[in-house]
Amino acid sequence: MSQTLRSAAAYVLPPALALIAAFAFWEFWVQWRDIAIIVVPPPSAVWERFVEDPEFFWREGGWTLYEATLGLLMGSAFAIALAVVMAHSRLAERALFPLAIVIKVTPIVAVAPVLVIMFGFGTTPKIVVAALLSFFPMLVNAMTGFRDVNPGALEFMRSLRASPWQLFWKLRAPSALPYLFAALKVTYPLALIGAVVAEWFTGDRGLGLVIFVANSNLDTPTLFAAIGVLALTGVSLNVILSVAERRILFWHQTTRTVQ
Amino acid sequence: MAGAQHHVSLRALSHVFRDGRRALPAGRQALTALADVTLDVAWGQFVSVIGPSGCGKSTLLRIVGGLLRPTSGEAKIDGAAPAAAQRRRDIGLVAQDPALLPWRSVLGNVRLPLEIDRAARDRPAPSPEELLELTGLAEFRSYYPHQLSGGMQQRVAIARALAFDPSLLLMDEPFGALDEISRASMRYELLRIWQTAPSGRKTVMFVTHSIPEAIALSDRVVVLSPRPGSVRAAIDVELPRPRTQEMERGAPFLDYADQLRNLLKEVPA
Repeated sequence: MSQTLRSAAAYVLPPALALIAAFAFWEFWVQWRDIAIIVVPPPSAVWERFVEDPEFFWREGGWTLYEATLGLLMGSAFAIALAVVMAHSRLAERALFPLAIVIKVTPIVAVAPVLVIMFGFGTTPKIVVAALLSFFPMLVNAMTGFRDVNPGALEFMRSLRASPWQLFWKLRAPSALPYLFAALKVTYPLALIGAVVAEWFTGDRGLGLVIFVANSNLDTPTLFAAIGVLALTGVSLNVILSVAERRILFWHQTTRTVQ
Repeated sequence: MAGAQHHVSLRALSHVFRDGRRALPAGRQALTALADVTLDVAWGQFVSVIGPSGCGKSTLLRIVGGLLRPTSGEAKIDGAAPAAAQRRRDIGLVAQDPALLPWRSVLGNVRLPLEIDRAARDRPAPSPEELLELTGLAEFRSYYPHQLSGGMQQRVAIARALAFDPSLLLMDEPFGALDEISRASMRYELLRIWQTAPSGRKTVMFVTHSIPEAIALSDRVVVLSPRPGSVRAAIDVELPRPRTQEMERGAPFLDYADQLRNLLKEVPA
């Protein structure tokens, strides 16, 4: 127990100290050079703004997280379904992959205003942008995952005359799990970005709107507090995904070597 | 139990891999892996197939296992096509890579065949638990493959291959990836399993590179020539059973080894 505590401390302490040092330097620099608060607020002012009404930030952050998560789920579901089809048929891959690349290379930020016209000012355009951003990395990873099957295991399953259905659920899907987790670690932050950007354009709520309004008002403490909450959300998601990954993929080598 | 005279009967078996899709060495031409292999394996016999690398040993085994159709010639298992035996669940397969599913426990891996074919559960066959007992894995049933040594993983693969209680066991260099020490002990472990399997002796076709392995295990050793593989000789190994590790140092064993070494050395005319 004390061993695990000590190793946890070994992982948490250095970055925590580095972070504190960075904030201290920031505070000191702003005070010393007497930088105007509308240019760069000192961390203390940001913190004051946050503790003044933490509920406000959590609530708006909650909306953003909600939109990002829904978008992520939709984008991932669609990507995985498409990956299944493409992993089983080269023809489908040739027909659909170029379209997926079009989605990938199109700057979604440029599409956001169009989406507002299409989907109105509600939650929908944010979910769509988050889904679009998380779609491609998930598609590529899932496709690779469904194909990256131990050839020996595949041959053995074939010698058992396993049906395509059994082949998928008993072999391909579990083989793809490490890839899906790797993709999630990339796409969850992307979905978060997507939701925030969509809120800039069509905000009725969410941290994107908070940032947009605070920026127009030169209210830098609120702006930085919102950014801080976003960063914290991203870090938390990463930690949650990593813990889940280690639990679910205990059998996979990448999770085993990182102990 | 025997219907046909021989359990496995191969007649003028040839196999040619043609271009592109099959993994071929450089060059586009067809590659003849097997040429005119004729071979009979009696019921309950342990037969090793030995030969230089690339002589088509694995190809031969894959044809017998119904995983590959020969270009010409005929393979029969109990008088019928390999695919029929495969459908009857009468062939067990162990490859060099145990290819266990890493997310399944030892027991889960041994159960896999019965999950694929639920109908087979009603047939008389040792239960997965009994197979673990037989292969000495009972204590490791809830372990995962990455927690096991290579030799232990191969035991799991053997237990898994016995799930349908097949009468024919095909083994393709199952100990090829093991270190010399576990390799030597796995030989006798395999013999113990073979001799104590509850449903009587299975016919085994065992592909190997190793001369001592072939002698220690087999009733008969079939020597293949270099590519394209064909049967160069078949030697009956008349060492008493049960075989022991001590026999490997005895004169008869070493004589067989010499004989095989010479057969493998000969340059084809």
